[in-house]
Amino acid sequence: MSDFLKATEAQIATWHAITPPNEPARRMAEDLAAVIAAFEKQRGQLQFEEEPSSFEAALMETREGA
Amino acid sequence: MVDLAALNLVDAAEAVRTGQATSLELLKACLANLDKANPTLNATIWLDREGAEQAARAADADVKAGKPLGKLHGVPMAHKDMYYQAGKVITCGSAIRKDFVPANTATVVARMAAEGAYVFGGLNMAEFAQNPTGHNVPFGDCHNPWNPPYITGGSSSGSGAAVSARMTYTALGSDTGGSIRLPAAACGVTGIKPTQTRVSRHGAMPLSFSCDNVGPLARTARDCARIMSVIAGHDPKDPTSARLDVPDYEAGLDGDLRGLRVGITDTFFFDNADTPVVAAVEEAARVLAGRGAIVSRIKLPLMDAISTNVSVISRCEAAAIHAQWMRDRPQDYGPALSGRMYPGFAIPASYYIEALSRRGSILKQFAKEVFSQVDVLLNPTIRTCLPTLAETDVERAPPGAQHKAMAVSLNCRPYNYLGLPAISVNCGFDPNGCPIGLQLAARPFAEARILQAADAYQRDTDFHIRRPPVLG
Repeated sequence: MSDFLKATEAQIATWHAITPPNEPARRMAEDLAAVIAAFEKQRGQLQFEEEPSSFEAALMETREGA
Repeated sequence: MVDLAALNLVDAAEAVRTGQATSLELLKACLANLDKANPTLNATIWLDREGAEQAARAADADVKAGKPLGKLHGVPMAHKDMYYQAGKVITCGSAIRKDFVPANTATVVARMAAEGAYVFGGLNMAEFAQNPTGHNVPFGDCHNPWNPPYITGGSSSGSGAAVSARMTYTALGSDTGGSIRLPAAACGVTGIKPTQTRVSRHGAMPLSFSCDNVGPLARTARDCARIMSVIAGHDPKDPTSARLDVPDYEAGLDGDLRGLRVGITDTFFFDNADTPVVAAVEEAARVLAGRGAIVSRIKLPLMDAISTNVSVISRCEAAAIHAQWMRDRPQDYGPALSGRMYPGFAIPASYYIEALSRRGSILKQFAKEVFSQVDVLLNPTIRTCLPTLAETDVERAPPGAQHKAMAVSLNCRPYNYLGLPAISVNCGFDPNGCPIGLQLAARPFAEARILQAADAYQRDTDFHIRRPPVLG
């Protein structure tokens, strides 16, 4: 078992009291490394959020004819 | 003799209204196809033949009595088995909810009933609406009407298969990451994911509060327009639903695309696409151009950020919704589902909040850059030829099957993050005889535009009226 998977399992057990239900769960937990990598790539592109934002408001603002 | 089950929904409703057919005849025609095809397809979870016959007779009596008739009067239909009907068992495709009896009825079901429709069955689906292929352990996998070893797409698998095999004129699906558009594409029917907040979600099983959408699968874009006119609009029972007037979606279906700016998405959506899919979608663009659309190619901004962010929202929300059952009875989930939900518990809250909090600003930037250039985005719904059920069986196939399964929904998920309306229509067939889906998307609340474009496309093509081999 990789260190990453060990750490992930421990984190989930600690915070949620949930253990890996089966082998697919372990395989898919290993895939979280790709999620982390994708977020890492986004770093540096983020701006400090100064204002509260609302997705619903953005939908209305960008709608046809708005 | 007219095959009544081959009619589209709008024509079926018209046949009842004008007395050319009775509702009972429509129902019997649908059930005849069901009896023929369902042993192969496994598209249903429950049927209420007796209740449906009573509803059909009542609908026919109203016609005879000259009562006012709704837009869907006398049309039998079946829905993904996650739309609550008070007092009826609604399984959500799961063993955990095999005896679940909701106390309320979904607003969308109630609105269609108010227009004269009735429900005769609950349709197969991915367990708790959580896979893009249509696999289901508790009720068995649903099979593709065009080639049964191949996936139906999910999660509204039974909805796609049943509409395709003419067992029902329409079926509600739900779409969190493509679950309406994928089965529409894979089964060769038409399915629309409305703008986020356009349709009430009251009484629909939740998967991800931020990304869930309710919408129809049907034979034609006009059918979808009819259903959307009935189900869209604010619902006090769903405070997240938008307070915007609902247009008459059918009124705009005139086949005239002159001046409509259509952008073939050069970024992301064609990456590693299969040749038959690319060819079918490019040909579809030519058909739209023949109707007067101005077709160009467009590069889309922010696709990395969109893909990254969308990958965490529904996983975190599904994990939160299912946490108690994952703790107490994980063995009651199919292994692929509990396996899929498990990593969601490890994603940090800061990632989830980042993904949610940037959603509005990303939408605004995307809309500003893209919709200043084009009105409609065009791409494949699924970028590859369909895989088989066996190839994407996360439990039994070799490791890596989950990547093949999840790749099916790559082209749908970005529009869930952005909240945009998107429709899938059949635009051809792959070398295995399985349908290819054309996806059209537009600005928030521009359902009328994509319905108009899809309807225009269907005026010049016949893919949507072809009969799947499962019907013989």
